[in-house]
Amino acid sequence: MGEVKPQYVPRKATPAMPNALPNPLRERIRGELLFCAKTDLGSDGRFGGQWMAVTDREVRVWQEDGTQARGLSVTEIKDARAAAGIGGGMLVADANEGPVVLVRYTAEQTPIFGFAAKLLAALAKGEERPVLSERDVPPRCATCGHPLAEGSRVCPFCLNKGKAVSRMLKYALPYRLPLIAAAGLLVLTTLIELVPPYLTKLIIDDVLAAEGGKGSVLLAILLGLGATTLLMTFMSTVRGYIGMWVGTKVMGDIRRDVFGALMKLSLAYFDRRQTSQFIGRVNSDAESMRQFMTDGVVYVLGESLRVVFIFIVMCALDWQLSLLALLPVPVIVAVSMTLWPKISRRMYQQWRSIYRLNTLVGESLQGIRVVKAFGREPEEVSRYDGVNADVVRVNLRTERLWQIIFPAFGFIAGLGTLLIWYAGGFKVLRGELELGVVLAMIAYLGMLFRPLQSVSQMINWVSSAIVSAHRVFEILDTPSEVPDARDPAPIGSLKGDVEFRGVTYGYEKHHPVIKGVDLRVRAGEMIGLVGHSGAGKSTFINLLCRFYDTDEGDILIDGVPIRGIGQSDLRRQIGVVLQETFLFDGTIAENIAYSKPDATPEEIMRAAKIANAHDFIVRLPDGYDTKVGERGHKLSGGEKQRVAIARAIIHDPRILILDEATASVDTETERQIQEAISRLVQGRTTFAIAHRLSTLRNADRLVVLDRGRIVEVGTHEELLAKEDGVYRKLVDAQTELSKIKGVEGG
Amino acid sequence: MTDRYDIRMLGPDDLYVSRGKGGVLQGVVDGRPYEELVAYRAFPFRFATEYISIRDAKDEELGIVRDIAELNEESAAELARELELRYFLPKVTRVDSVKFKSGLWVWELQTHLGPTSLAMRNLHDHVQAPGGSRIVLVDLSGKRCEIPDWRELDAHSRRQLEEVI
Repeated sequence: MGEVKPQYVPRKATPAMPNALPNPLRERIRGELLFCAKTDLGSDGRFGGQWMAVTDREVRVWQEDGTQARGLSVTEIKDARAAAGIGGGMLVADANEGPVVLVRYTAEQTPIFGFAAKLLAALAKGEERPVLSERDVPPRCATCGHPLAEGSRVCPFCLNKGKAVSRMLKYALPYRLPLIAAAGLLVLTTLIELVPPYLTKLIIDDVLAAEGGKGSVLLAILLGLGATTLLMTFMSTVRGYIGMWVGTKVMGDIRRDVFGALMKLSLAYFDRRQTSQFIGRVNSDAESMRQFMTDGVVYVLGESLRVVFIFIVMCALDWQLSLLALLPVPVIVAVSMTLWPKISRRMYQQWRSIYRLNTLVGESLQGIRVVKAFGREPEEVSRYDGVNADVVRVNLRTERLWQIIFPAFGFIAGLGTLLIWYAGGFKVLRGELELGVVLAMIAYLGMLFRPLQSVSQMINWVSSAIVSAHRVFEILDTPSEVPDARDPAPIGSLKGDVEFRGVTYGYEKHHPVIKGVDLRVRAGEMIGLVGHSGAGKSTFINLLCRFYDTDEGDILIDGVPIRGIGQSDLRRQIGVVLQETFLFDGTIAENIAYSKPDATPEEIMRAAKIANAHDFIVRLPDGYDTKVGERGHKLSGGEKQRVAIARAIIHDPRILILDEATASVDTETERQIQEAISRLVQGRTTFAIAHRLSTLRNADRLVVLDRGRIVEVGTHEELLAKEDGVYRKLVDAQTELSKIKGVEGG
Repeated sequence: MTDRYDIRMLGPDDLYVSRGKGGVLQGVVDGRPYEELVAYRAFPFRFATEYISIRDAKDEELGIVRDIAELNEESAAELARELELRYFLPKVTRVDSVKFKSGLWVWELQTHLGPTSLAMRNLHDHVQAPGGSRIVLVDLSGKRCEIPDWRELDAHSRRQLEEVI
């Protein structure tokens, strides 16, 4: 048998304490300093701080001003523990004279003082001292001081400074050639746009107002006017197409990256969010980014160019008049600059209210059966009305700002025109200026103010695109909470020994659901996990699959911590049949071969046969090619289960996990599934969870969990023999229940 | 023996609590002394001082206090204090500023337990409005603060909040 060399990957011990103890306090301690930290709460539960130091002889706590608050010698302490509260906790030492609260702290410091409690307990009991690991001290960014996610050295907040826009534009890099072409066309179009007003000036001054103006000149100029208009139309069409082409391509790339990032995130990330929100979020964010990429960039660039060109031409015509006309420009810019942050915040607000509405709709529709079953339609409607009213209110508030902006800009722009008419008009009357120049100036000024007026439109585009980009990059930047090992241990084929070593885990750190679990399982053993609902059975399984990482302790497979095993290697060795069987859109054959797409039809049928699924599949009109999943054939619960078992069989894992595999099926189906399972578990290390304790009778050992701790381990008979055992009570309760059922049935 | 599937309500004569020498909540329940008691709010959002579950150190429920005010004065004060300590949820008295800088929403707050600041990655996951004018702010590290009623804050605070909620 291929022996796997046990490789223990030690966690890096941080040499420094969470905080360095101030010198005056350092002089007052006795013994070798092992740990010290500053709390973020005072003993009265207010924000503040206390110093705590642990040596090999004593533990001391000081107030911030250096007066001692508590002091206990190690010999006075029997045990120590971190008692979790809500949003915080306290470190309690069980002294000979009763429990003593040493320090209080907020949730932020739970890991640090969790470690302190372990250290103190080890000292009190004379056990081996734990080593402070990186995981016990929440890492913080060196520059901004904000907390860092585990397993990440890069501070996402400091990193984000490299502006969302430039990052967004990086996506356009592969398409730089067509973009350069578009930019060239843009400059040309902008230049040509300047021609018509000038030609108009020529018509007025040199043809219409001039003595002896010739019809042929007029025709020539008109022809030129027509030609430029045609050219402009053609060029802006081509430019628009290129912009759209690049934008669409870029969006495809961004969407692909986002989905890739979503797939890499740990389960914990999705637990905290509703899935329906993701769909809307990714879609709408991608759309507003696309809008920015296709129209926004080109538009903003084009308009800025136009402003510069017009300014040059106007100055060339009459610089004094130009400066006068441009007086309102700083006002326009100043107004838009002050409105910028206001608008972007309101946009985000608007987005959030619509997002809440979408979540609510998604939720109600997903739960429509429950809604209808309880006759709660009116309540759902009124819930919707409430959120809807909020959307309306926020919308109106944002729109109010919009509606003020346009007339305001229009008014300011009108002042500019007025100024030109006034100054220019008098110049013409005095014969200092030709009428055509004034008309051209006014035409140019109109063109100049147009982009400035629609600066708000640009703000709209840019700001909503930036908000969207922020959120999209947030997904891209979220580091996985179960990071893959840097140098994964090569595991080859496993034997299947599993060991839990002091494992503690909570979905929220301050609220552990698995507490200090120790368990050794030999290869090939079948373990039944038993306990009330909420005892931590499913969490136990999730930790073994490494859907989550333990907060404390390690899980070892063949002596190798699972953190040190590559995740794809690990999953290859673990097979699961879950409570909720999920079949993907595709044929039954594809679903069975999910983990092994190159499986031959024979292999698929063999797996199905072992899973007791072959017969019912063959009987289906489309056989193994029957479409299942959301839009396909509806299989019954038991049928789905057996397909899932076949999927696990073809996977051929060393470690098998069965989570309530026989829940909610009739007795005959259960028998068939049981049979299939008993064939499946042979030679594999198996962990099975079942509500019906009878289904676990084949297990080599039963592990009884209660409130996250292992309370009993043994065979069915051994545990049943315990008079006051938890397992015994569970069995009694179930027997009672089946009697009731029997009565109901009769 | 009382039915173990019934909720046991504790009256003023059934429960006395005080603070132990070590700072831990202790007390006497049904005449039996406990050197450590733990208090849970059954409805932390709706009833801060009512329906308090009293448990021993092993987390077995001993009973429920319907309303702290029903207990004798000393016990009531100590129990209220314990809940304040165990449920660390500072009430915001003033919002100094809410700023968005480099991808992070930073809140500078004054609370009834002292000044603090919260850092959030976004608002839609970290700002919760459980109902009415109540707002719960959850920071990246899991630290929480509560605004019991944003309408009752001063004008400056409301102006800060206006743009974000």
